[in-house]
Amino acid sequence: MRKLGIVALGAAAALTLAGCASGGSGASEDGAEIRVWLVGTDTPDEARQYLIDTFEEENPGSTLVIEEQSWDGLVDRLTTSLSGSDSPDVVEVGNTQASAFTSAGAFLDLTEYYDQLGGDDLLPGFVEAGSYDGKFYAAPLYSGARLVFYKKDALEASGLSVPTTLDEYIANGEKLAADNPGKSGIWWPGQDWYNALPYIWENGGEVAVPDGDEWDAQLSSDESIAGLEQVQQVMTNASRAPKDGNETSPEVGFCDGTTLQLSAPSWVKWSILAPEDAEAPGCPDQEANLGVYALPGKDGGAAQVFAGGSNIGVSAKSAHPELAVKALEIILSDEFQTIYGENGLVPAKLSLADTLGTDEVAQAIAAAAGNAKLTPASPKWADVEAAGILQDLFVNIAQGGDVKALAEQADADIEAILNG
Amino acid sequence: MTTVDRGLDPAPSAFEGERIMAPTPKPAGPRRRRRGGLAPYALLGPAIVILALITGWPLIQLVITSFQQFGRAQVFGAPPEWVWFENYANVLTDPVFWDVLGRTLVFTAACVVITMVLGTLIALMMMRLPKPFRMLLSIGMLLAWAMPALTATVVWGWMFDTAYGVVNYVLVNWFGQEQYFQHSWLIDPLSFFLVAGIIIVWGAVPFAAFTLYAGLTQVPDEVLEAAQLDGAGGVKRFRLIIFPFLKPIFLIVTILQIIWDLRVFTQIFALQDIGGIRALTTTLGVYIYQVSIAGGEFGQGGAIAVLTAILLMSISIYYIRQVTKEEEL
Repeated sequence: MRKLGIVALGAAAALTLAGCASGGSGASEDGAEIRVWLVGTDTPDEARQYLIDTFEEENPGSTLVIEEQSWDGLVDRLTTSLSGSDSPDVVEVGNTQASAFTSAGAFLDLTEYYDQLGGDDLLPGFVEAGSYDGKFYAAPLYSGARLVFYKKDALEASGLSVPTTLDEYIANGEKLAADNPGKSGIWWPGQDWYNALPYIWENGGEVAVPDGDEWDAQLSSDESIAGLEQVQQVMTNASRAPKDGNETSPEVGFCDGTTLQLSAPSWVKWSILAPEDAEAPGCPDQEANLGVYALPGKDGGAAQVFAGGSNIGVSAKSAHPELAVKALEIILSDEFQTIYGENGLVPAKLSLADTLGTDEVAQAIAAAAGNAKLTPASPKWADVEAAGILQDLFVNIAQGGDVKALAEQADADIEAILNG
Repeated sequence: MTTVDRGLDPAPSAFEGERIMAPTPKPAGPRRRRRGGLAPYALLGPAIVILALITGWPLIQLVITSFQQFGRAQVFGAPPEWVWFENYANVLTDPVFWDVLGRTLVFTAACVVITMVLGTLIALMMMRLPKPFRMLLSIGMLLAWAMPALTATVVWGWMFDTAYGVVNYVLVNWFGQEQYFQHSWLIDPLSFFLVAGIIIVWGAVPFAAFTLYAGLTQVPDEVLEAAQLDGAGGVKRFRLIIFPFLKPIFLIVTILQIIWDLRVFTQIFALQDIGGIRALTTTLGVYIYQVSIAGGEFGQGGAIAVLTAILLMSISIYYIRQVTKEEEL
């Protein structure tokens, strides 16, 4: 998914929290303005309008404003704005970034609202991501899944079919690249490390595992190395993407014909099919030729992919915490979440999974989301991402570097940060 | 005592009287100079207060933070723990810091030298150019100078793009250099700094050229003419007349370039997102960001920032002393 990161520290601002929570309640909430920060363009306009209308109808006199933020630099912006006196009331945060703020006391304790917000129907992995120290701070907002997009005609021309195992997927990519010189059988720019995680996980490896109070980085374990070698194989034989490029704008290569397959978050479908006169033009004429499937696992079925997505919480410094919680209830209502489902994002509630529909993409999303995994749940994981250790690792692997030595170096760097 | 008082008293009254008696339409106010008095300090006051507030206070905060264990929890209100020089010890014993510092110094030196040489050559050319071309050149440079660093980096990044960049296209299709097909300009650190250097120098040359051009117009023509009659060639005239004349300007521009290039952030940070290996291309400005803002170690980042400030200040003080020495001579 996008730049997701985590960080976290000691929980200490409980007093501040309590103070703000009680200070904001009372009769003075008439005519309040609730500011909601949504990140990126993933949330459909229909959902935004529904939130504003419903909130203002249920809370006469109060208004709700949605302020759109960008994923780039989100952790920095939240750090400064949530700690200031002009804090937004409700904020979206990447699921792996959440613990940076839950552990720092930036969010209001929502434990008492847990059942009201959806209770055990909420996506369990995301509830875990939004909890800290036994308390519930940030609810799931939506989840995305990584899917493989492919050109049906290219697969057909090489006499291939949709792969059922990871090995077959790799072999297909290599054959496509060999049959179409200069084109990517699997488009994979070197900085895109999210896509490498399934290879590690499917081979039985891990990025890092807890070991008592410490973390033990596992990239150089035999299992992980097997996965990383497969990554190098794909990057070398199947991909013609820049070895040090990033994963933004995957639709460009798909539309100009140089990318035959690529693995990306589910909403990339809309980037590819965007109108030709859009700000970021796509190629809507490819709709019939655009196929999609869930990345297959080593032994068949869906591979364990990275579970990108968002959590949403209430700022501890919100001036109107009760109204903010009401807005949160609307966001987690079945009606609001259904709009996510209808737009190809996995809703925050398990019971709404069928709103995704029954087409090819929906089935692929359901298959992928059912087997999704997260990065190590350390409060300091975001520091690993900020240092660019994984981006550097895969750029070096893409260049044909010695996998074992690079993995050992990355392990040392990761442990230095997680245990530092 | 009284005599002294009497000796002083009449002066202002005489002055006042003069004003009343002869109210000239243009009083020669600015030419009057008085030493002492509170007026200069009163005039300096607001500027000092504003500087103290917007520069001094953050600087003090920075120094305080650099002595503390200050993470994200502290941003949200947890009391920070005083660790005094631990942050500094951590930074100074970290080989990564020394790598970053060395890389930054070498890169800065290269950028400053190239900027100054190009700036001087362009300024000299502007002296010779006919007016219309000089205007054209000035407008072009102003546009380059006015372009925000981020925009410039994105545009240059596109030109050097691996798959669709115009540089690779031209090299392959016009000059037949097949090895530049899908060539990554950023993956090799040296080549990364070549691109970064081009962006930085491109943005910095206009300032150097304009300032030096302004200085060049002040070099007296008769001295140059006399030297020419004595048989001094172009290089000699530059070395023996123009350069000594403009030395203070050269020094000031060089200091400013050093300061700007040492703490360069935008170009490197944005370029790292486009391509390249972060661990091998990080410079001081980006390193401070990585440690403090992105990594949440504000104390450690503060220590690096203080060290950078000390480095910048010592370079500046050295050069400013050189300049003032020149002026006293």
